[in-house]
Amino acid sequence: MEKSKPETDQHGQQAPRKRRWWPLLRRLSLALSVAVVLWCLWIDFEIRRDFEALQWALPARLYARPLELYAGAPTSQAELSNYLDHLGYRESTQVEGPGEYQRSPSRIRLWTRGFDFWDGAEPSLPLNVEFDGRMVRALWGEQNTGDLALVRLEPAEIAQINPNTGEDRVPVRLSDVPQALIDAIIAVEDQRYFSHFGVDPIGIGRALVANLRAGSIVQGGSTLTQQLIKNLYLSRQQTLRRKIEEALMALALELHFSKEEILQAYMNEVFLGQQGNRAIHGFALASEYYFARPLSELSLAELATLAGLPRGASYYNPRRYPERATQRRDIVLGRMLSQGYITAQQNTTATREPLKVASSAPSRGQTYPAFLELVRENLARDYDREALQTEGLRIFTTLDLRVQDTIDANLEASVKSVERAAANGSEGHLEAAVVISDAITGEVRGLAGGRQRGFAGFNRALNARRPIGSLVKPAIYLAALESRQYSLASVLADRPVSIPLSGTQVWSPTNYDDKLYGDVYLFDALERSMNLATVDLGMQLGIDSVARMLEKLGYDENIPLYPSLLLGAIDMAPIEVAQLYQTLASNGFRSPLRAVEAVTTAQGERLERYGIETVQVSDPESMYLLEYALQGVFKRGTAKSVTGRMEDSLPLAGKTGTTNDLRDSWFAGYGDDLVGVVWLGYDDNRDTGLTGATGALRVWSELMSDLNIKPRLTLPPSKIVWQEVASQAVQQDTERDCRSVQSLPFMPGRLPSSAVSCEDDESILQSIFDRMRGLGR
Amino acid sequence: MILRVSWILSFSILAGCATYSTGRGIPAPVESRDGNVSDRQATNTSPEELPGNAPIQRQEVPQTEVPPARSPIIVTPAPAEPASASSTLLAGVDAAIAEGDLERAAALCERALRINPRDALFWYRLASVRVQQGRSSEAEGFARRALSYSTGDPALTGQINTLLRDL
Repeated sequence: MEKSKPETDQHGQQAPRKRRWWPLLRRLSLALSVAVVLWCLWIDFEIRRDFEALQWALPARLYARPLELYAGAPTSQAELSNYLDHLGYRESTQVEGPGEYQRSPSRIRLWTRGFDFWDGAEPSLPLNVEFDGRMVRALWGEQNTGDLALVRLEPAEIAQINPNTGEDRVPVRLSDVPQALIDAIIAVEDQRYFSHFGVDPIGIGRALVANLRAGSIVQGGSTLTQQLIKNLYLSRQQTLRRKIEEALMALALELHFSKEEILQAYMNEVFLGQQGNRAIHGFALASEYYFARPLSELSLAELATLAGLPRGASYYNPRRYPERATQRRDIVLGRMLSQGYITAQQNTTATREPLKVASSAPSRGQTYPAFLELVRENLARDYDREALQTEGLRIFTTLDLRVQDTIDANLEASVKSVERAAANGSEGHLEAAVVISDAITGEVRGLAGGRQRGFAGFNRALNARRPIGSLVKPAIYLAALESRQYSLASVLADRPVSIPLSGTQVWSPTNYDDKLYGDVYLFDALERSMNLATVDLGMQLGIDSVARMLEKLGYDENIPLYPSLLLGAIDMAPIEVAQLYQTLASNGFRSPLRAVEAVTTAQGERLERYGIETVQVSDPESMYLLEYALQGVFKRGTAKSVTGRMEDSLPLAGKTGTTNDLRDSWFAGYGDDLVGVVWLGYDDNRDTGLTGATGALRVWSELMSDLNIKPRLTLPPSKIVWQEVASQAVQQDTERDCRSVQSLPFMPGRLPSSAVSCEDDESILQSIFDRMRGLGR
Repeated sequence: MILRVSWILSFSILAGCATYSTGRGIPAPVESRDGNVSDRQATNTSPEELPGNAPIQRQEVPQTEVPPARSPIIVTPAPAEPASASSTLLAGVDAAIAEGDLERAAALCERALRINPRDALFWYRLASVRVQQGRSSEAEGFARRALSYSTGDPALTGQINTLLRDL
């Protein structure tokens, strides 16, 4: 148009015409140049922005509590080999390097991988572990490592908090990538990588020739830099404009970043497979996905297999098409040989190696959904969703795989067995929730939000708030003992009672079995969970002091101040109940339940640590007396039915809980190491046909005996004295009967009343006890 | 001394199989593997008594597949004791404090407490680390807990009480 315009208007006037469109052309070309420069600048900006973003758009990685090995550690041979399997260690007949182990009777020899923990590094080392039953007997290294008193194995990765892109990466530094893999990639994808400037005209030409000769596309001309860019913008259309853009981006990338940085990004970014809706990016993740082991432990053949994948990850998928993958691997090895990266001998050995792909990829993120929800809740205060999904944080959790796996392996069957016993024509599943925590530190060791393994729906352990029934009673009895107005031998009235409520309403509670026990000792009322005696005690104390005790034990929601609180008319989630019993298990020291120990950056720099906290909320003497009765629950009370099964673990302490119309079956109990809370019930609040003892207690005892819960070793505080009382509780000393006596612990300021004390009787038994006491000292 | 050390080393073993008696509140005497009878009250150790503070003698461990003639966990009345999990961690706590990494020191105390929750010494060390960090309000709980386990160790009990007084 510009050409024809001057021709029609100005015939025969060449020179002036030239002069006239020349400035126009200059202006236009200037504008065009500016546009091109702007475009280049934009591309330059875009690629730099996106390349830099690559460095940090990383999911948070969550780790379980690491296994610690030392002489006397409570770990059996089976438990250690399970743990090693979890970590992807390979069992072999000869341990030659990290990530391998060898089993012989009562012994495991292994080579640890080492791990950079947030509080220091554990080195990789060979290790011998000898077992004695359910325990480590001895631990020793090799000649050069000498004594080994304590070894912390690397933690199992339990999950990632992924952004919603469905992409997954395990970033590695180039220095951590095996040289053989780098060689293989260079050999097969981009021979002149270290000499070109982003695009490779020679490579393109050679590929063109090869493709023409073959009549089809057998070689690509893309450099690694170009491939990286393609991977970055995978979803964009491959138009000509895009190709030019990509070439420009490749040049820009090479201009701003070093060859090593680009290669590292390629190693982490290239698409290498698809697992469901999750895309596998980068070689480190692919190594886990296909071989269930870290890159550093792969053989040459296995590395070559991975190096064959960028050409077509689904076409050469070694799990689905082993023949194609093997052929491709051999091509890669052949290129490595012809370019001098490997010897003929290495090539022969590697091509003879059978393709050994892990049978199933380790599934992450779906394995422990209930626990992960707790972790998210714990972290919500300090980290937002965005930070967890993109900053590559490393989160060290308190999850104990041994505990969690025991819950997962047993819960469903164990719930089913009690459900059948209770079958009363009701349909639908009896549901369950379990919380198990460390009795001393308050660290949550395992969690189940439903009866089904790996259940990811409504998390009952955290969110199902149900009446707790008799689980509230220890708070009442502790308040009584702490007031120093009561002793274990205080006599309570288990008799009908009518308590006026607001208006004309009257509350008339009954015992679970509708019996009346009359005069009973305080400890007996708790052990056998008598409602009327408890109401008698609670009304004497006042509802207020019971509520205050619940708060001291760790309940921080509103507490309804009605008399029915005394029988547990208060809704709590299992994790809240676990907090109360945690405080009891720690002998009156409250430690908040935690699921996270520490958070670091992707580089291992410490960001946050959540250590043990502890506050003393009750005195040791009151706690000791309370525990006497809570151990009595197993010895004489409502949990007596399971003592046969748990003989090796006794004494234990705990309490059953049953709510109105058998809607909820609870048990909360503890040994020296673990606290466990089990809840059973229907989501629609139906009658379960189960009491705490016939339902939750059985599930609890099955889990805890599998976990080999340790017996309570609570020692009496020095102030505690033991005295004898008549076995039968009575109000008047005229009725006292010291022919049958029972010895109970007391605080010196609150000895048994004369109505029941048999201490003044000089019996033969007494002198025998005195002599034994002397011997014990 | 030997009784106490043997107790630390065999604590976990005994925990599983120990008998327990609440009868009249007398702690049951416990027989340890080396045949010594130790009182359960003596579970606690003061710093100068810990094996980590004694010169550590290399423990004889086999380098081959032959099982050790004698289990390294059995303590014989020798002049020096092999490193135990506790003494290793205690050395770590001291090193971390020397480096000024108090949070790591606290974490090492916690590791020790996971192994032996009733070790009054580590509760006490945890309390003093928190004091050093200026987190005195947290220290009190740890010190009180240390106190609840230090009954058999008057020296340590004295140290804990001093710390509590200074809070």
